[in-house]
Amino acid sequence: MPSGKTPNAVWKGVKRFFTFWKDFLVGDSPVLALGVIVILCVAYLLRGSTVLAPVSTIILVLVLITFTVWQKTKVRSRHATIDTDKGDKTSA
Amino acid sequence: MIDQSTVLLFITVALASAVEATEALTIILASGITRGWRSTFEGALLALACLAVIVGVAGTALIYYVPLYALRIVVGTLLLIFGLQWLTKAILRQTGFKAPHDERDIYNKEVATLSTGKKGILHGQRDSLAFAISFKGVLLEGMEVVMIVIGFGLANGSQNQLRTAALAALVAVAVMTAIGAVVAKPLTKVPENYMKLGVGNLLTVFGLFWMGEGVGVQWPLGDVFLLILLAIIFLATLGLIAYFKRVHENQTEVEP
Repeated sequence: MPSGKTPNAVWKGVKRFFTFWKDFLVGDSPVLALGVIVILCVAYLLRGSTVLAPVSTIILVLVLITFTVWQKTKVRSRHATIDTDKGDKTSA
Repeated sequence: MIDQSTVLLFITVALASAVEATEALTIILASGITRGWRSTFEGALLALACLAVIVGVAGTALIYYVPLYALRIVVGTLLLIFGLQWLTKAILRQTGFKAPHDERDIYNKEVATLSTGKKGILHGQRDSLAFAISFKGVLLEGMEVVMIVIGFGLANGSQNQLRTAALAALVAVAVMTAIGAVVAKPLTKVPENYMKLGVGNLLTVFGLFWMGEGVGVQWPLGDVFLLILLAIIFLATLGLIAYFKRVHENQTEVEP
């Protein structure tokens, strides 16, 4: 007899699929993913300018790297050096 | 004639693949030595076959059915996210805020986990745990290589570039596998942390470049600007490493 098991399994599969990609792309650094979306929007808005678009996107990337590293050093200095990638499923 | 962006592409894909292959090899060695080689190899080979099918099917289909600008936006965005993840973690490792990636340590942990597990026998000869660990390890480590190969392969919308990217990955995996087979222990001497720093730089540069091209940004000097971008990101990375290294040293001096 068909039961509610099949939709449940499908739902679980879909959930796992999205969780996998979320962990893979966002991991423990949601700021990075969000920052890249912001850079994409800025590049699109300034695409007509041959000077502003390249300069602003490069500056934004540098700011994003600096901010992310600074943010991680604040967390890590409170918990000493972190020696594992616990909770981080990105492979970097 | 081979242009400089093809050479950079080959180096980036080969380096990224070598790093992932080193990590996958550690899992395969731990599984093979503790649980037996047959099931471990079967798991690894099945995972490699799955990855090859994904590259062949998805890569080719995307080239034919998705417009180039859309591919560049998606590919560039994904590569930029990957690149920044690799780069920020590499900076944290170089400055001491994150412990360096240690294959020996990972190998020992895998061996300890696998040694305690019961032998799971399938059809008389196979060890289901060894098969599953090996399959999962190769598939997960390989997935990022697949994303990079497809990404780099698609950015110019040509089958040739997809072939070059796939070839770079194959060469790197073959070299690391051969070395692993000869030494039969985790490749602790591979300068993984420096390689990750280099790959992080390259992925960031290619990601930003293609994402920009996808939305219509006109990079000055065309493809040559890739080298200028690489120099800018690399110098900034060196500056950040120097600064945060000092921050880390100051913190360790203050804390008893």
